Amino acid sequence: MRQFMANSALMRFSHHELRLSWREWSWMFSGRRSKSLWRALIGISIFYAVMHLIAYAVLGSHLTAAFELDQTTLAVLSVTVLLSLTMMLSQAMESVTRAFYARDDLDLILSSPAPSHDLFLVRISIVALTSWAMSALVVSPFINVAMALDGGRWLSGYVVLLAVSLTATGGGVLITLALFRTIGPQRTRLYAQILAAVVGAAFLIGMQVVAILYFGSMSRFALFDPAFLAHYAPAAGSLLWFPGHAVAGQTKAVVFFLVSSVVFFSAAALLGSRRFGRIVVLALGVTEKTARGGTTNRAFRGHSPLGALIQKELKLIVRDPWLVSQTLMQVLYLIPPAVMLWVSFGKAAEASVIIAPVVVMAVGQLAGGMAWLTISGEDAPDLIATAPISAFTRLWAKVASVLILVTAIILPVSLAVAFMSLWGAAVTASGALIAAASAILVQLWFRAQAKRTTFRRRQVASKASTFAEAAASISCAAGTALIAAGSPLALLPVILLASVLGISWSIRPKQIAEVQCP
Amino acid sequence: MPSTSAAALEILNLHKRFNEPAVDDLSLTVRSGEFYALLGPNGAGKTTTLRMVAGLLQADAGTVKICGIDAFADPIAAKRVLAWGPDDPMVYDKLTPLEYLEFVAGLWNMPPDFARFKADSLLDSLGLGSHANERCGGFSKGMRQKVALAGALIHEPRLIILDEPLTGLDAGSARQVKRVLSGLVAQGVSIVMTTHILEVAERMADRIGIIARGRLVAEGTLEELRERASANGNTLEDIFLEIVGSEAGSEPPAQEATGFHEKVA
Repeated sequence: MRQFMANSALMRFSHHELRLSWREWSWMFSGRRSKSLWRALIGISIFYAVMHLIAYAVLGSHLTAAFELDQTTLAVLSVTVLLSLTMMLSQAMESVTRAFYARDDLDLILSSPAPSHDLFLVRISIVALTSWAMSALVVSPFINVAMALDGGRWLSGYVVLLAVSLTATGGGVLITLALFRTIGPQRTRLYAQILAAVVGAAFLIGMQVVAILYFGSMSRFALFDPAFLAHYAPAAGSLLWFPGHAVAGQTKAVVFFLVSSVVFFSAAALLGSRRFGRIVVLALGVTEKTARGGTTNRAFRGHSPLGALIQKELKLIVRDPWLVSQTLMQVLYLIPPAVMLWVSFGKAAEASVIIAPVVVMAVGQLAGGMAWLTISGEDAPDLIATAPISAFTRLWAKVASVLILVTAIILPVSLAVAFMSLWGAAVTASGALIAAASAILVQLWFRAQAKRTTFRRRQVASKASTFAEAAASISCAAGTALIAAGSPLALLPVILLASVLGISWSIRPKQIAEVQCP
Repeated sequence: MPSTSAAALEILNLHKRFNEPAVDDLSLTVRSGEFYALLGPNGAGKTTTLRMVAGLLQADAGTVKICGIDAFADPIAAKRVLAWGPDDPMVYDKLTPLEYLEFVAGLWNMPPDFARFKADSLLDSLGLGSHANERCGGFSKGMRQKVALAGALIHEPRLIILDEPLTGLDAGSARQVKRVLSGLVAQGVSIVMTTHILEVAERMADRIGIIARGRLVAEGTLEELRERASANGNTLEDIFLEIVGSEAGSEPPAQEATGFHEKVA
């Protein structure tokens, strides 16, 4: 056995990948300090315990002795399974694309005599298992509480979750392979990225749009109204509710889900592993498009240093579709408020109360991403630092670039809201600008020089800034909604925002490394 | 205003400490129109020194004057006459060399017509003319190195600091770069360059400084170093190895090194 383990590339790759995954995970939570890792583990345990309490609060009143699997329950369970599938599929597409394009150690592995298809099998299995584990962390309190209240049949929830993660990962592999085949390696990375974002958001947004169109409400839960389901949805015995039956422990459904997902995943993984080496070689050969032409005789524009910096920031963002797709994912979530605007156009001034927080939240998140790109993501920090310009000009140029981009997004939405309610438009625009300013401040306080290509890992670099950015956006969104509704409770989110920013300022790194030390 | 008669670079008692002293009471002067090569084993403090001069790293103590301007007191004025070329070429993948140079010209507030003229001339002399409108993302390391060098030179600096500028260049490109640098020195521009290619220092430098453990342990022209080091051979490599030790990073004790420095300087 020892001999087998020593010789098998599959085992060696598994060991190597698991070790790297564990180190990355522990580094993300601990910053390489064992004390912090323990603190993170304690924090996760507390979160897990609290989630059980929340699960009990949600399920306690439903899972009584009189509980039965009615149409509404089956709809909730089936929709949850479908929602998990789309989310996991989105995540899997990103991970699979990364497996093909990430250069990290592929030069070493591909130039070694080790079989590269084994590496793909290992990596893809880890994607499926990670996706299952992360989902289980969130969902398991509900499954555990359901088991405690209604019996062991709910244990099948874990099996269904595993089946969903295997199906999503297999689907991610097949979609990425299809993209490689149809549009080639040059464009697959970008298109897979956009597709992943759309797939991840589509189901959620689709439900919201249907809720708006049928009920005039932005709440997705409106769709689970028993009267609506009785009228539009099939009966409880329908195949459509098969996922719901599987979660609730119906043996046939569970076995079907598990077997079909294992077969599907195995087929996709084998297909992907056979093509892995060839695709990676093609992906590694992808270089920047070089031909541009047409500007040889153009005169230089006379920019001031500030103008040159802003121009450069905007040009770099616009020219990087991958980064644009990453940052503009937030814009997808503006679709429901846009539909809401369209549906209630000129009719309900109150609609702005519902729309404002969504817009503010999306703008806050968008500004956070953009601010990281312009403030921390600098590919030539030495050049900027050795230019004869003040630190203020340097920072102001970066802040102005974010504000220009954010304003371009806020303006049309605010104008549309203004047709319904001037007050609503003013509140939406102000809230969005405050959310953007808060995100920019957090990025300024926690800035750490990095390459723009590390955009995806920015949240790993500082958990504090990630948390502060999210908390500030949520506070702004809540405050905007309450101010738009004229509620005096708006003071609470305002105080929360001030506290978040105050705490962020006080815990910011004291010496900001604007340029890299040798 | 930069002084025309002052030395291009004056470093006096410069100190920088990370976990241990990286630059330890270092003083050196580079004259106007001089090509100065700064040599030393890995971790000797060359890059740390140059980064402090370029304003990229804060010194613990000491002064740096660039063309008579106190670089710590008036960094913006000092940066106007200074160019910095790091060992890792930092250019933007999404910009073309022309766009990159237009951006750099904007940072130094150069008149656009003159900047365009300089950009064309630099790109031609570095063999990048035919790639002027291609994005840098597809360039080799050597091409990126040359784009970065063009960016460093476009604003006509009076002092150019280059950290390993020839790394990654093929023989032809290295010759192009050396020709451009020699031309600049002939025009009165001062260059301070670190390199591990001792042959380059031997051929191009007017004076050579050898740094070890953050201290300047030897300085002079090649002839002065050759005469005073009493090396067994007569190449710069022999002299360098005798001074810093034959193994990378194994410098002689600081006391001996200081003694040698005093003897040479």
